[in-house]
Amino acid sequence: MRSRRTASVLATLTAASLVLTACGRDDAGAGSEAQSEEIGSGAAEGTIEVWAMGTEGEALQDFSAAFEEANPDATVEVTAVPWESAHDKISGAIASGETPDVSLIGTTWMGEFAEAGGLMPTPENLVDEADFYPGPWASTEVGGTSYGVPWYVETRVLYYRKDLAEKVGWDQAPQTWDELKTFAQDLEDKAGVEYGINLPPGQTGSWQTMMPFAWSNGASLTNEDGTEYTIDSPEMAEALEFYKTFFDEGLSPTRLLDAGELESGFAKDTFGSFISGPWHIGLIEEQGLTEEQFAVAPLPGPDGAPGNSFVGGGDLAVFQDAENPEAAWKYVKWLTEAETQQAWYEEVNGLPAVPAAWQSGDLAEDEQLQVFGQQLESASAPPAVPTWEQVAASIDGLVEQVTKGDLAPEEAVTQMQSEASSIGTGL
Amino acid sequence: MNPVRRQQAVAAWVLALPFMALFLVFTAGPVLASLGMSFTDLRSTDIRTPFAVEFVGLDNYTQLLADPVFRKVTVNTLFYLLLGVPLTMAVALTVAVALNHLQRAKGFFRVGFYLPVVTSIVAVSVVWKFLLRDEGGLVNTVIAWFGVDGPGWLDSTTTALPSLVVMSVWRNFGTLMVIFLAALQTVPRELLEAAESDGASAWSRFRHVTLPLLRPTLLFGAVITSIGYLQFFEEAFVMTKGGPLNSTRSVTFFTFDQWGFGNYSLGAAAAYLLFLAIVLLTWLQFRLLRDKD
Repeated sequence: MRSRRTASVLATLTAASLVLTACGRDDAGAGSEAQSEEIGSGAAEGTIEVWAMGTEGEALQDFSAAFEEANPDATVEVTAVPWESAHDKISGAIASGETPDVSLIGTTWMGEFAEAGGLMPTPENLVDEADFYPGPWASTEVGGTSYGVPWYVETRVLYYRKDLAEKVGWDQAPQTWDELKTFAQDLEDKAGVEYGINLPPGQTGSWQTMMPFAWSNGASLTNEDGTEYTIDSPEMAEALEFYKTFFDEGLSPTRLLDAGELESGFAKDTFGSFISGPWHIGLIEEQGLTEEQFAVAPLPGPDGAPGNSFVGGGDLAVFQDAENPEAAWKYVKWLTEAETQQAWYEEVNGLPAVPAAWQSGDLAEDEQLQVFGQQLESASAPPAVPTWEQVAASIDGLVEQVTKGDLAPEEAVTQMQSEASSIGTGL
Repeated sequence: MNPVRRQQAVAAWVLALPFMALFLVFTAGPVLASLGMSFTDLRSTDIRTPFAVEFVGLDNYTQLLADPVFRKVTVNTLFYLLLGVPLTMAVALTVAVALNHLQRAKGFFRVGFYLPVVTSIVAVSVVWKFLLRDEGGLVNTVIAWFGVDGPGWLDSTTTALPSLVVMSVWRNFGTLMVIFLAALQTVPRELLEAAESDGASAWSRFRHVTLPLLRPTLLFGAVITSIGYLQFFEEAFVMTKGGPLNSTRSVTFFTFDQWGFGNYSLGAAAAYLLFLAIVLLTWLQFRLLRDKD
C-alpha cells in the first residue's frame, strides 16, 4: 500500500514537472509594447467601473457626478477598496481577468502590474506629458512605455520648529547641506532640543529619506532606460556618508521611533526638525502646534541649488481586460485636467500632479502648500520595476548597517549595487 | 468481495466524497502546487500566465542556501528554538508542579497563567514593546531602582532576540502548563508514597517517579512547542520588524518577505525547507524521547 502511494505521488510530481518543462517563458514583457492607439474625441458612453482606495475611494463616486453630467450616456461606478487589501485584490483581478475598467494604482506597484500584462499602455495623445511634474510621470513609465497617468502626488520636505529656529538666529530654512548640519546643531546646542533632526536610521522606507540626499548630489538608481542599476557611484557614497554623520554626531536618534513618537516629540521640543510628506501638517496641528511654531521648507541641495526629493502618490491606470477602455481613458483624462484636479484637492486634499492646478485657488494661496508645489519641481520617483520593493528593502538594510557604524558608506554602496544587480529589474 | 461489504464500501466512499473533494481542491492541491512552484521561477509578474514559466530544478533551493540573509535567519530561528523550547517547557513544568501542590486559589492562578495564550498576539506585542522601551519603559524603570541602567532592549542586536523569546515564553507556557497539570494528576499517589517511605527525597521522587511517567506528555509538549518556535513570526513582525540588522528575522519572516517581493517560487522553496526542518526535528524528538521498551 505504502509503495503504491509513493509511486502515485512520484507519478504526479513527474507529470507536473513535465507539464512545467513543456511550457516556458516568452520574454516579451512590459516595455516592448507600443502606446495604445489614440482614442476618439466624442463623449464617453457606457458604464465605467472604478476602484479607488482610502479617502479617494469614499469621495470619488459623488465627485464623478460632474463627469456624468458632461457625458450623459456614461455611468461611473466607484468601488472603495481598503489600501491594506488593494494590492492583492488588484493582483487577483489581473490574474483572473476579472478587472474593473480603471483603478487607482500606488506608484510603486506600476512596474509589477504592467510587467504582469495587466495594464493597458496609455493611448497616444491622451494627455501631454509636459503638463505633469516629471517625477510622477516617470512612475507611470515601465521599460519606456507609459501605463497610466499620475493622479495625485506626495513629496517630502523639511519640517522644522520655526519658533525655536528663530530664537537661535535662523530666520530662514537651511539652503545647503552644511547649513542643514549647522541648523540641526544649533537647534540641539542652543535651542535645547534633544535631537536636532530625526532621520530614519534604516529599516522599512528609510530609502525614501536617504535617497533625496543622493539624488540632490547627482546620484541615480538606474540608467536612463531603467534597464540597469547605477547605485554604485561616488555621489551616492558621498550622500550616504553625509547622512551617516547625523547619527555619528548625535543629531538624530539611532533607533526607530514608535508610532506617534515623532509628532509628540516635535511638539515637546524633543526633535527640532524632520523630513516627511504633506500628511504631517495635519498630524502636527493635532499636537497643538500652529503655523507660528513650525514651518516647512524645500530640501536643501549640497551647494545651495534646490535639493531633490522623493515623490510618491497614485496613478490612474486602465486594465488590459477593461470592458469599456475608451470611456475609461476619457474618465482618466477628465480626472487629470487642471480644473478637476483643483476641485478634487478641495474635496480630499490630494495634491495635484498637474502644475497648472497649483497656479490659482487654495493651492496658490497657502504658503505651506506652495513649498510642496516648489519641491515637486525637483522630485524623483523610484524606478518603476517589478522588483523595486526588494531592492528598496536591501537598500534599507544597508543604510541601517551604515548608520549603526557596521559598514563604511563606500562598501555599502558597492553592496547595494551588487544586491540590486543580482535581484535584477524583473523586466 | 461479498455484496454487503461492497455496498458498505460504496456507501463509505459516497459519504467521504464531499470531504475528499474539498480536501483535494483546497488542501492537497495547493500544497502540491506550491511544491511544484518551488522548482520553477514563478514571480508575481507571471500571474496571468502561471504555466509559462521555466522549470529551474533545485535552483531556488541552492540560491537560498547560498543567501547570507537566509543563513542569518536560519541561525536566528535556531536561537529561537534552542532558547525558547527548553525555557517554555521548564517554566510550564515548574508552574504546573507548583500549582499541583497548591491547595487554594488554584483556579485563579490557572486562569492567570493561561490568559496570555488567549489574548491577541498583536495587542500583547504592542504592550511589551512599551514595557521594553529604552526611556520610560517599565522594565528599565524597575531595574533603575537597583541602580542598573537598562539598554533599549529591542534596539540592540544582542538583546532583541532574547527579549522576544522571554516574551513568547510568557505568552506560550500557559498551554503546556495546562497539559502538564493534567498529566501530573495521573501520577499514582501510591507510587509517590511508596518512594517516600523508602526514604526518597522530594527531588528524587520528582526525578525518578514523576518525570519518567510524564515522558509521553513531555514529548508531546516538546514537539508542539518546537513547531511553534520554528514558525516564529508575529512577535518579531510587530515588535522589531525583523531588526535591528536582521537580528530577529526568522525563516517564516523571510518567507513572508519573499512573497511580499513577488518571489513566489523562492518563497515556496523557503517554506518547504522549513517544513523539512520541522519533519526532521519531530522525528528526532520521537527517537530521543519515545518510551524505551
